[in-house]
Amino acid sequence: MNVTLAVKQYISKMIESSGPGMKVLLMDKETTSIVSVVYTQSEILQKEVYLFERIDSQNRDNMKHLKAICFLRPTKENVEHLIQELRRPKYSVYFIYFSNVISKSEVKALAEADEQEVVAEVQEFYGDFIAVNPHLFSLNLQGVSRGRSWEPSVLPRVTQGLTSVLLSLKKCPMIRYQLSSDMSKRLAESVKQIITKEYELFDFRKTEVPPLLLILDRSDDAITPLLNQWTYQAMVHELLGLNNNRIDLSRVPGISKDLREVVLSAENDEFYANNLYLNFGEIGTNIKNLMEDFQKKKPKDQQKLESISDMKAFVENYPQFKKMSGTVSKHVTVVGELSRLVSERQLMEVSEVEQELACQNDHSNAQQMLRRLLQSPRLSEIDAVRLVMLYALRYEKHSSSILPSLMEELNRKGVSERHRKMVHAVVEYGGKRIRGSDLITPTDAVSITKQFFKGLKGVENVYTQHQPLLHDTLDQLIKGRLKDSQFPYLGPSSLRDRPQDIIVFIIGGATYEEALTVYNLNRTMPGVRIVLGGTHIHNTKSFLEEVMLSVGSGGDRSQIGGRQMSRR
Amino acid sequence: MASIYSPSLEDSAEVKEGFLCPLCFKDLQSFYQLQDHYEEEHAGDSRHVGGQLKNLVQKAKKAKDKLLKRDGDERTDSSYESFYYGGVDPYMWEPQELGATRSHLDYFKKQRAARIDHYVIEVNKCIIRLEKLTSFDRTNMDAAQIRSLEKSVVSWVNDQDVPFCPDCGGKFNLRNRRHHCRLCGSIMCRKCTEFVPLPMAYKLTSGTREALWAPGSGGSPVSTGQAVVQQTSRRGSISSISSVTSVLEEKDEDRVRCCHHCMDALLRHQRKLEEKDHVPDIVKLYERLRTCMDKVEAKAPEYTRMAESLNAGEKTYSLESTAALRMEIQKYYELIDVLSKKILTLGLKEELQPHPKALQLQRMVRYTATLFIQEKLLGLTSLPTKEKYEELKEKRRVEQEKRAQQERQVSLESHKRRLENEKNRPTVSVNGDVAAPRVTKAGGWLPQSDTRSEQDDPLLQQIENIESFLRQARSANRSDEVCMLEENLRQLQDEFDAQQTSRAIEISQRLADETDLQQKQIQHLQQREMEHRALAKTQERPLRGETDRTDEHSVRGDLEKTDHTRRGGADQAEEQPFRANKAQYQSLRANKAEDPSLRANKTQYQSLRANKAEDPTLRASKTQEHSLRGDTSKTQEHSPPSLENKSPSKNPFDEEPFSPVEEEPTNSQTANGKKEYNPFEEENDDPNAAKNPFEDDDDDDDDRSNPFKEVSDETPASSTNPFDEDDEDDTAIEEELLLQQIDNIRAYIFDAKLSGRSDEVELLSENLKELQRTLREQKRKK
Repeated sequence: MNVTLAVKQYISKMIESSGPGMKVLLMDKETTSIVSVVYTQSEILQKEVYLFERIDSQNRDNMKHLKAICFLRPTKENVEHLIQELRRPKYSVYFIYFSNVISKSEVKALAEADEQEVVAEVQEFYGDFIAVNPHLFSLNLQGVSRGRSWEPSVLPRVTQGLTSVLLSLKKCPMIRYQLSSDMSKRLAESVKQIITKEYELFDFRKTEVPPLLLILDRSDDAITPLLNQWTYQAMVHELLGLNNNRIDLSRVPGISKDLREVVLSAENDEFYANNLYLNFGEIGTNIKNLMEDFQKKKPKDQQKLESISDMKAFVENYPQFKKMSGTVSKHVTVVGELSRLVSERQLMEVSEVEQELACQNDHSNAQQMLRRLLQSPRLSEIDAVRLVMLYALRYEKHSSSILPSLMEELNRKGVSERHRKMVHAVVEYGGKRIRGSDLITPTDAVSITKQFFKGLKGVENVYTQHQPLLHDTLDQLIKGRLKDSQFPYLGPSSLRDRPQDIIVFIIGGATYEEALTVYNLNRTMPGVRIVLGGTHIHNTKSFLEEVMLSVGSGGDRSQIGGRQMSRR
Repeated sequence: MASIYSPSLEDSAEVKEGFLCPLCFKDLQSFYQLQDHYEEEHAGDSRHVGGQLKNLVQKAKKAKDKLLKRDGDERTDSSYESFYYGGVDPYMWEPQELGATRSHLDYFKKQRAARIDHYVIEVNKCIIRLEKLTSFDRTNMDAAQIRSLEKSVVSWVNDQDVPFCPDCGGKFNLRNRRHHCRLCGSIMCRKCTEFVPLPMAYKLTSGTREALWAPGSGGSPVSTGQAVVQQTSRRGSISSISSVTSVLEEKDEDRVRCCHHCMDALLRHQRKLEEKDHVPDIVKLYERLRTCMDKVEAKAPEYTRMAESLNAGEKTYSLESTAALRMEIQKYYELIDVLSKKILTLGLKEELQPHPKALQLQRMVRYTATLFIQEKLLGLTSLPTKEKYEELKEKRRVEQEKRAQQERQVSLESHKRRLENEKNRPTVSVNGDVAAPRVTKAGGWLPQSDTRSEQDDPLLQQIENIESFLRQARSANRSDEVCMLEENLRQLQDEFDAQQTSRAIEISQRLADETDLQQKQIQHLQQREMEHRALAKTQERPLRGETDRTDEHSVRGDLEKTDHTRRGGADQAEEQPFRANKAQYQSLRANKAEDPSLRANKTQYQSLRANKAEDPTLRASKTQEHSLRGDTSKTQEHSPPSLENKSPSKNPFDEEPFSPVEEEPTNSQTANGKKEYNPFEEENDDPNAAKNPFEDDDDDDDDRSNPFKEVSDETPASSTNPFDEDDEDDTAIEEELLLQQIDNIRAYIFDAKLSGRSDEVELLSENLKELQRTLREQKRKK
């Protein structure tokens, strides 16, 4: 159930089966990100892969002494490029791997192009998704919906992505979906169709309890992506933007050339792996510890080298030191930048109000806090807007809603027209009218008592009170209490036992806060393994773009549609 | 885990494992059952053992709560531990098999075969005909003869059937005449004709000829060449008459006329043949590079094993052969370096620059080679010098003897004790003060305490026992035990730290009072200062009992190495201020400092934990704490000399904990750390750019007032040059070590240069110079 490992294994298998010698990896745009998320350059260099090329790149020389490993999505364009490539081969041998199901006719077309017999392998390796964490995958698709239904070109790609996850994990699941969302139902049916069609592929060893695929819709919980985050990974994504495990630090004032773009990968950065899910305060402590460790190992500390034994110690510590210095400088920079942003944008105060809005039920208090904060001149535009959005979602139908006056306030603050429109767009996207389960005020008795107890116990940390809706949903699912009326099974059969292997997919994108929730559930629930996926991993900015695309009042549709070209 | 073994070696008949009751050897299934059993059955037997057991349980429970607060070496693990409740971390999910795959190769091959057959037959036909067409002497034959011969190879298409050129569509007439392809017999116009020159034809057909002649002539290309010559000359002698009718026809003496379809096929075939034989330089070099790497891969582990064994003072391998192996491996590294450099510069000097992609490939190969060297060479353990080795051997021998003696004694003792046991079942401690050799049975594993505790403090005893268990558990790779034991150990150390801290605080307060007093006196009576110091020292002495010191030393034993060495220094210099410093340092460690500024720091930090801190405080407190730490350690280092000088003003308590001087290095070190990051980028950019970073870096260094420069400047300035003070006796021993160090540092310089970290290069070469100077001096002294 480890998606990172699944992709890694596919790729190392590809490289291994091509034998020794210098190799080149031929990829398309999407597979490039799929590979780069799980492997670093130096790791893959050690496997004798020295060049990375795009299949559509024209600037490739004849290099008959190289073996080519092609990892491509089975799109029309890629097949066409490959046919051209085989007609005039630039490399000695070709090992071709498609990331998804490819049709017989296309294989035939390729075979006919291979007049020089350079192809040594044609396989399907189902690594058709971006494995962000071991339990988290993304398809990097934005603008998946148009109103309440699928953007037509995207549904096939999402189906492909989701089925490839199932295949790479060797799971043939039962499917549940969110009844209130038509998109969920469509996707569930589409996945089922593939499973039926490719029944030979999905013929895995039966487990006692069959795995479960749960399909949800983002519009059911529009609040989670609007909140500021305080765990490391989520914070980096929210404030700096994490794209295929890479962050762009070029905007950071006074950044050195080496650190313009840094890679944060838990696979080969121990510090990051250990601190991924810790909150900002804890990271501060750990960074301090890291620095101290580093300084202990730092040869310069023993610069005076008082004796020969000092010298010897220095020489022996040198390699470790070298390894550490990279990590230290990277994380010190990142955390430094985060803390700069936190203070510059008053994120502590903002987050407190956000949490108050999201988790408490005290309208007068919330509105007071909100109004007070909106007065602050340091409040950034995006934060002001997101606070108003949260208010709008939370107290949408409240009798004494002050939304109009808040909108006026935004106007006075000089918030752009576009951003103000977004407030209404978000309500349209994830307002009460849309939501299937009630996101905010729990209605049934159990939840009310739960809420009550929560209140009694007091809040441990003001900034991390919020639990995404996904937590409750999964909790109920694991306990076998998730209502069939809200989340029906596709098909006649249903699960009698409690589920063990669960794959959750959120149409419209997941968030790192939800990834953390799933991570914690995995850790706390013995015998349960959960993998979370989404069409995208959102921060507030990308989520708002998604909303705007869906509601249709902004964005360039043709450009988005064109990006997700798909074969079937 | 409570476990016990039958106490004597001779009586090896029964070895019990598991959760055994230490008193009655009853096997209980779990720890809790054991505890229950123990409380019920042996409640009155021994308070001592019971207390220990209970203690352990409680501590294990408490440990979890405290885990986060303790910043030991295991803190990364502990932060994970803090919310671990029985589920599985996704990173730990069990290994999984490769995901589903589906191969289309069979279908692909089937489809390709149909196509390829067609294509291959075509090409082969062409080549066979070409061979026939070129196997006679064209120059000495008239056109008609040639034509009839050519016609016999392939039947020509009838002229009347083709009124237009099939390729260009031009109408055939007297002007635009028909021509026949000699290879397939088809018709085309003159414009569409292609010619195969004879040399190319020979080259193309040599393969087939070789195949045909191979069984008879041994297949050497020379013999085939002769055969061709013989054949042609024979044919030439037969033909003598030339025809007049061939005037209109141009004579193709040295070429074969053909259509461009056939030409295409032939050209493609030719390219394939050429590529098959052609091996580019990079491939040759690369293959050698790989063999070197493979050799290193094979030999490095063997060397590491040998070096480790030697460093442990064992006699399994000889020092010479290991050194030879080291040399061999180092040679391979040099070779790898040279080869990869050659690959890097391949084709750069030629006029026609290689394709950028080819250059990129070369760079990547070189980069991989450097990575390889960095990873493997820098991991190469150093060897002891001859003298050192003798020392080690001696040490080991002594140790072994001691152990043997101990074993004997222990077995005797335990035998005695067992006899006693049988009489009136006295208490046998769980941890067992007995140190018998480890008893294993069928892969079983049992810890035993091998340290003979002399401490009175039960806490210390406990710690020591657990430490010895831990060592054994580690060496036996029992990770679960290690975990548990570590937890216990941490807990105990916490407790002990707290104890020590309170003691230390007490001492430091008393000391502070004393120094206050001292300072007043200093102001008034500077002359009597020295005397007073002596007095104070004598006053101070009773405060620190002998046992106290040893206790501390042993507990700290397992802490970080640096800590250890510092403490080693502490033992030598038993001066007051140092004591005070230590106390301060300890109080800092335990986060229980009395110092108000420290406390302020702590509260700042805690507030940050709660995420309520203002952001600048994060930085401020971080640097403050750093500087504090740096400060304490620095003052520790400084204090002994200052005392030697007896300069009264140098009382460390006068120094402010937040002295800006100390803060500087920490900051600039960070800055430097940043700079060193990622050597790769620079190398990748441009071969020319490789030089630029050096310059850049140098500039940076100057701007930032490189701390290392400062320090290195300081070194000669400081009056106590360690090398000057070295005893003459030692120098002889150290010489080889010096040479070795010089070697190593050279390797690092090489490495640092490669990755363009100029500041390191600078530092390293400084060190190198120093070393060389020392070496020279030593030689001179001799």
